[in-house]
Amino acid sequence: MTSKIGVDVSRIDALDKVTGKALFPADLMSSDMLHMKILFAGRPHARVRSIDVGKAESCPGVIAILTASDVPVNEYGLINCDQPVLVGPGSNKKGADTARFVGDQIALVVAETEEAAIKARDDILVDWVDLPVITDPYEAMKPDAPMLFESRDSNIIKHNKIRAGDVEGAWKNCEVIVESIYHTPWQEHAYLQPEAGISYIDSDGRITVEVAGQWVHEEQKQIAHALGLTVDQVRVIHPAIGGAFGGREDVSVQIVLALASWHLHERGISRPVKIVWSREESILGHHKRHPYNIHAKWGAASDGSILAAEVKMVADAGAYEYTSAKVLGNATLQSTGPYDIPNVSVDAYAVYTNNVPSGAFRGFGGPQGAFAAESQVNKLADKLGIDVVEMRRRNLISDGSIGQFKSVYPEGVTIRQVVEECADRSNWPITQVDNSLPSNIRKGYGFACALKNVGFSFGFPEECWAKVELHGGSEIERVVLHHAGAECGQGAHTVFVQMTAEACGVPIECIQLEAADSALTKNSGSASASRLTFMAGNSIRGAVDLALENWQSEERPAIGEYKFVPRQTTALDTETGECDPNITYGYVAQRVIVEVDIETGHIRVVDVMSVDDVGRAINPIQVAGQIEGAVVQAHGYTLLENLVSRDGYIETAQFSNYLIPTSLDVPERVEAVILEYSDPQGPWGLRGVAEMPFLPYAPALIAAVHDATGIWFDEFPLIPERVLRGIDHSVYGE
Amino acid sequence: MSNKRVVSSTINGQQVEFLTEPQQSLLECLRDTLGLTGSKEGCNDGNCGACSVLINNRLVNACLMLGIEIEGKDVVTVEGLADVHELHPVQEAFVLEDGLQCGYCTPGFIVATKALLDKNANPTEDEIRFWLAGNLCRCTGYDKIVRSVRLASQLMNDAKEGLQ
Ligand code: FES
Ligand code: FES
Repeated sequence: MTSKIGVDVSRIDALDKVTGKALFPADLMSSDMLHMKILFAGRPHARVRSIDVGKAESCPGVIAILTASDVPVNEYGLINCDQPVLVGPGSNKKGADTARFVGDQIALVVAETEEAAIKARDDILVDWVDLPVITDPYEAMKPDAPMLFESRDSNIIKHNKIRAGDVEGAWKNCEVIVESIYHTPWQEHAYLQPEAGISYIDSDGRITVEVAGQWVHEEQKQIAHALGLTVDQVRVIHPAIGGAFGGREDVSVQIVLALASWHLHERGISRPVKIVWSREESILGHHKRHPYNIHAKWGAASDGSILAAEVKMVADAGAYEYTSAKVLGNATLQSTGPYDIPNVSVDAYAVYTNNVPSGAFRGFGGPQGAFAAESQVNKLADKLGIDVVEMRRRNLISDGSIGQFKSVYPEGVTIRQVVEECADRSNWPITQVDNSLPSNIRKGYGFACALKNVGFSFGFPEECWAKVELHGGSEIERVVLHHAGAECGQGAHTVFVQMTAEACGVPIECIQLEAADSALTKNSGSASASRLTFMAGNSIRGAVDLALENWQSEERPAIGEYKFVPRQTTALDTETGECDPNITYGYVAQRVIVEVDIETGHIRVVDVMSVDDVGRAINPIQVAGQIEGAVVQAHGYTLLENLVSRDGYIETAQFSNYLIPTSLDVPERVEAVILEYSDPQGPWGLRGVAEMPFLPYAPALIAAVHDATGIWFDEFPLIPERVLRGIDHSVYGE
Repeated sequence: MSNKRVVSSTINGQQVEFLTEPQQSLLECLRDTLGLTGSKEGCNDGNCGACSVLINNRLVNACLMLGIEIEGKDVVTVEGLADVHELHPVQEAFVLEDGLQCGYCTPGFIVATKALLDKNANPTEDEIRFWLAGNLCRCTGYDKIVRSVRLASQLMNDAKEGLQ
């Protein structure tokens, strides 16, 4: 029987997607549906004294206007319920009358047409009292700063500490010390499909929301909480999802859609409600990648061994917590990289401000931490005159290493292998000089590497459910897989089907998938943390094993249901940071070649090599697609994407001013090299891939720019203005 | 009082009459009035290409045109490419080369690719990248899209030769 894994298989949803038949949330229509629009705060910090909906309600076509007092339990959040569903007076949640960022939601208008809803929305009168706006996280950390939440005595959400060894005592043994302050920018997910959804009461009387998300059961739970219902009264279904990248990990339109349907239902109106956000509403209304300020001081001995790392970093969490505390954990881990450093001190803070909330985005704190750590290593190597790959050889972790968390890295550490492979294939160190270039063009080469966890970290409960039905007589003819995992475009459903076919020993065509519907599945966790293939594979294998046993005992259909629970991780100790942070990791190394035009400041990325150990590539063409896609997103992050926010107002809420890469703005060549060193805990040895290739890109590119120009950029995006400023400073001084 | 107008045109080879308000975009007419939801809205201001359609064989962003502007014209959307039995070679190529992930941008890319290959049967990589620069994709990084276009060109050329 030929293998179903390790082979390129066309994605199972490809046919629907190339013909236009695939239905995304905005494509769901029903002849009697109503349309909803949201009134957003449009102010970064202000209290609502009162809302007058009188005029709006009398607009033609208006069916309902809902405000804070209509929300049964007016709070939500993935980790901490600190955000009101609707901001305004009259709800049962203290502090819910205050908008803390421009995208807070104030009122819902349900009407016969979208135009009528817009017109009525614009007729709602809100009496505002503006409050002091605080957008600088350092200001927000001060004890006398205005508090975003009256109930709190600090705007600091979380402070992580690592204390390992004796950093102060180590400096005197260092031959070189590098101290830098890094700043990383916001990043907008810019998935092509803006938030949208439709809600209705299904035939079993459940409030049903069809929406693009990343985790049906979490969305179901949050809706139930805010509506004061049990989870069984709520159903969430994911139709086709137009990209996510972490941006749909926190809910957007889910709760408000459910609220509208519930309200109409109670009034005896049984018509579906639909909402579609514009691009601008999407950019204003959902979270971003966290900006970080990272102050790093690292020292190394003359032989290149890194002796000490001291890092202080502050993340702008924006107005609500979202996943900030978890992202901070990962940034804390990443801030000293995949290196064995005996003396480490890290202080990491996530802080509330009146900016747009920050949250999950591919890499989850990793790109920020890795930018600082990799840049530090590259700078130390530069100062010591040691080649950057050799510098890494002298410091990288390997199996058995005990890191800054005082726990052994999970078996299967392959960072050395990916670094060597990348160096080897790119003939590192690259010494040849290109004499053919015009005098304004400088060429440079950069290198960086990273690790990224697979699965939830730092004690967050991790589990994944699957159910398999085997149908047939003497032979298995048909297999039904039930799984809740979200297909966001990464190809999850295709690899689910491949892994099921492989485990059952039947052709792929025999597998039928029932997925991403909370009524048909149990909790499989989210499409995030590069976890889904790993967790789903383990759950599918478990379920198939049970089903095959039942098949042997003549059960027809033979059913196997299994919940995979991996090794439990633990949270950081509050004083020392000691913990067992992660289940396992994937490893990556990259080499980037740039040409910098020192007259225009334009950077051309000529060639990228990304070497990723994915453990086992279930579907190699999709794995390559993940690597290429991650590199290009990271390319946008490093060179192009410039979210401008002034005093809490986002000024780049369109694709005309928030630029993401087009086919002309990408690296000229991206070579994805897939390595397959088995992970002992992975199904068929696999790890994960979605995030890893994002992490080393910014530091590798910036090292290449340094190689080309002699200038270290500690801040990006490297838009031409910034590059030119850097060149001017280095020539003419500060 | 309604200002609605009747528009008659050919959409995907079929004679169609529909009602539209004068200010409604072609994209709204296609999606909401005619139920052709293959064309997507990604920005509604001409910056993403997810709404790409052909009008009299010219590639346009449907969000930037009014429904009334297609009076008497011939419109092709992604739904009009495959016939009942087989995919259009451009669609086939995107499937084979994995030129899509989430697929939200895909209808726009497929229509744009058809427009390119109808004009230029053998585009170079630079010509492909230049032509597609009006279509955004956030998932793929474009490499597999460019490969898909190359394969599509080959498949269409092969089919033409097969006919001769
Ligand atoms: S929706 Fe028309 S160009 Fe974006
Ligand atoms: S495949 Fe998702 S935007 Fe192109």
